[in-house]
Parts: sequence; structure tokens; C-alpha cells
Amino acid sequence: MVGIIQEQHPDRTRLFMQWKKMNWPILVDSLNLLGVSVVPLTLFIDEHGIIRAVQPKHTDLEDFLKRRDQMPSGAPGRPIIRPDLAKLEKDAREGRPDALRAWGDAAILWGGAGRITQAIEAYRKALQKEPTHAPTHFRLGVAYRLRHDSPFRQMNDFQQASNHWAAALDLNPNNYIWRRRIQQFGPRLSKPYSFYDWVNQARQEILARGETPVPLSVEPSGAEFAYPSKNFEATGATKKEPDPQARILRDKGRLVKVETAAVPPTLTPGSTSRLHVIFRPNQQIKAHWNNEVDDLILWINPPDGWSVDGQHHSVPNPPHPVSQDTRTIEFEIKCPEMAAPGMMVIPAYALYYVCEDVNGTCLYRRQDVPLQIEVKPTKNETKR
Amino acid sequence: MKPHWGIVLMVMLLTLNIVGAQTSSRELVVGQAFPDIVFPSLEDGHPLSLAHFRGRKVILHIWASW
Repeated sequence: MVGIIQEQHPDRTRLFMQWKKMNWPILVDSLNLLGVSVVPLTLFIDEHGIIRAVQPKHTDLEDFLKRRDQMPSGAPGRPIIRPDLAKLEKDAREGRPDALRAWGDAAILWGGAGRITQAIEAYRKALQKEPTHAPTHFRLGVAYRLRHDSPFRQMNDFQQASNHWAAALDLNPNNYIWRRRIQQFGPRLSKPYSFYDWVNQARQEILARGETPVPLSVEPSGAEFAYPSKNFEATGATKKEPDPQARILRDKGRLVKVETAAVPPTLTPGSTSRLHVIFRPNQQIKAHWNNEVDDLILWINPPDGWSVDGQHHSVPNPPHPVSQDTRTIEFEIKCPEMAAPGMMVIPAYALYYVCEDVNGTCLYRRQDVPLQIEVKPTKNETKR
Repeated sequence: MKPHWGIVLMVMLLTLNIVGAQTSSRELVVGQAFPDIVFPSLEDGHPLSLAHFRGRKVILHIWASW
């Protein structure tokens, strides 16, 4: 028994396998180099490495196990050699798209976090020559999201991931691995199911067995826990706007860095997107949250005709008095049916208590967070 | 007996998460060799490929924990 997974965060599979007491080798194909378009997929593979069945019936198993083919020559279980990164990098310098992709793939799979930027550059160069190569868009999206989750993150990496996953899907809407990646971080209306609702139950049951759950490098986000919804749950103002006259002094990003990502990155009239707003205290000036006062707030003022699932969102303060944790607010926005194509700015602002340096001044600040999203015509309108 | 256990496992896999599995990749076709792509193993990140299991029958399950 052997498994292959295409997940962005493979350690979640390790947690799942620990929970279910599954114990067989798993190969991690986060870039979907196999090119599978759906999972789950079961195959029978014989001693020679030949595929004998795809999606077999369980009654086929006995025949497969009984089958006796001539044993292949060579020692079974031969060791597998790691790809030669230096050679692949050298080959990529010639600029051929396939060589650039091979280098990018190897840099992601074998180069560690320090090579992600090189992989991104390689994929980007490949796309300059083959802009409609959908798998490259998908892999570039995976690479951007990997860097977003790494210490080497750059501003807008998550948005870039969303852009390239969407580009891949636009080029080939039949690949469900690519579709799932957008759905994983996207709005509830387009979700087939909650992606990682099992994580907390798994941890509890593993702890109850006296084991330590596999640690996750990245906790699932709200979108990844969220359940599907049949209707967009628009919510009007349930709270009073906190700073309608914009009187609170601004932080223009010096104290807290704000990053946003829309998944999917563009809207068509009547469609929805999920906005991720990420707040990070500026480490360079040792900025940190003051947790002894009000929670961080995000207030959204949707333009006429646009709907949001709540104008007021907040992140509860953790119990300790100060912290430097990254905080994320997610909300969903629906584009009106009659929206005109073009760039749209959704006005929003955050309010927070933040302190500068250890024992430094603590301030209550507002940061304007204009959320830009593009409205595209529906496909039919494009054709017309 | 191993074959018996294999059948149990197979029934389990085929009844788990089967929604959406209507088509397979173009490359994964009966009668053709499974691609010898080298991937990191989930357990320890070491290189692993289906070629490692040559000489043995393999039930391969391509899946996701979501």
C-alpha cells in the first residue's frame, strides 16, 4: 500500500494518518507533477511498475494479487537518488521553459525554504515564454503560498498564489486539484465541504490516546475550517461604525504591516470572493499588540449594491498582556449583478492598540485598508 | 492472511471520499508504466518513487486528507 498526496500543507496528512492509525509510505506531490485531475484515485501497479487497473472494483483485488508475472530483473527496492539541483539550475540558465520548470520543481521539492524565491523566478521566466501553460501557473501559485508560509515571505505572496491558481483553473477548468486549491481558501458558496474540520477532533482523540499530535507548521485558516453555504449571508450594520469621521490618528503601516488576499482574485457580477486581511506587528521596530484593551477591529464600508457577511470583524486578544502574533480577519463580499467591469476599491479600516518597542509608547491607531478587487464580465458577456 | 486484509483495506478506500472521482489523469492508463517521478516522502522528506517498490505489487491511493 502506497499513497500520494497533492496537499499544500502535507503535515496535515501526517496528523490525519496518526489519527486514523494509517501507516504506509506516502509520496508528497504538492506541485501535482503527476498531473492528476481528481482525487481519490486508486491504481493497481504490478511488479514491473505497470498500471494494471485504474479505479478498480474491490472484487478485482484478489485477481490482482493472484496474478503472477515474471519478476523484473534488477534488485527490488533500489534506492532513489535525489535530483541534482546544481545541474538542473545550470540547465535552466539556457532559458528553455521545460528546463526552467524542472529547476523550479526541484527547488521546491528539494531545496528547502531558502530556494523558494529561485523557484518562483524560474516559473515566472517559463511563463514569459509560455504564458498559457496552466500547470506552471498552478506550481507558481503553490510556490508563492509556500513562501507566504515561510520566514522568506514577501508582501502579496498569498495574493499572487491566488492569482496563479485562478489563472491555471481559467485555462483548464476541468482540473479538480486546481479547483480545490481555490475552494480551500475561497468563499463558502463555492465550497464542496469543509476542508479541515477534522483537525481539532483528531487532536483531541490523539491526546486522549496519550500521544502527542503531529504539530502543524501552518494552522488551518477560517476558510479551511468553514462549511459550505447555499446562500450568501449578507449582514447589515449590527454595530455602530467606530470611526465614521476618520478622527483616529493613522498608522500608515509603520507599526503594523497589513497584507490582503482575495480568493478568487477576481469577481464576475453576482459572484463572491473571500478576503483575507493579515496583520503583522512591525518586527523591525519591535512593535507588539497591547492585549489589555480592546480587540483588533476591521470595519468595512461596502459600496452601493455590494454585500458583505458583516461590516464589523474582530480578533479576540490572547490572554497574555502583549504579543507579536500574526492576526487574520476573513470576510466574504458579493459583487452586485449589475456591476460594471473594472477595478473596484472596497473601503475598510482597522483599529488596534499597538506598542512600539519594549516598554515603549502604546497607541490606539487606525489603518485604512482599501481592498482592491477586479470585476470581470461574465464569460457570455465577453463573447458577446 | 494478507490478501484478506488487502480486500478489507480496498473496500475501505473505495468507500472513502469517492465523490468527484469520475476521471483520471491522461497519463495514468492501464498497461502503461507508472511515471518514475521522485517525490519527498511524507515521513522524513527523503526521496521516494514508485520505482522503489519494483518487484512488489502496489495498491496506490492518490488522495487528500480534506
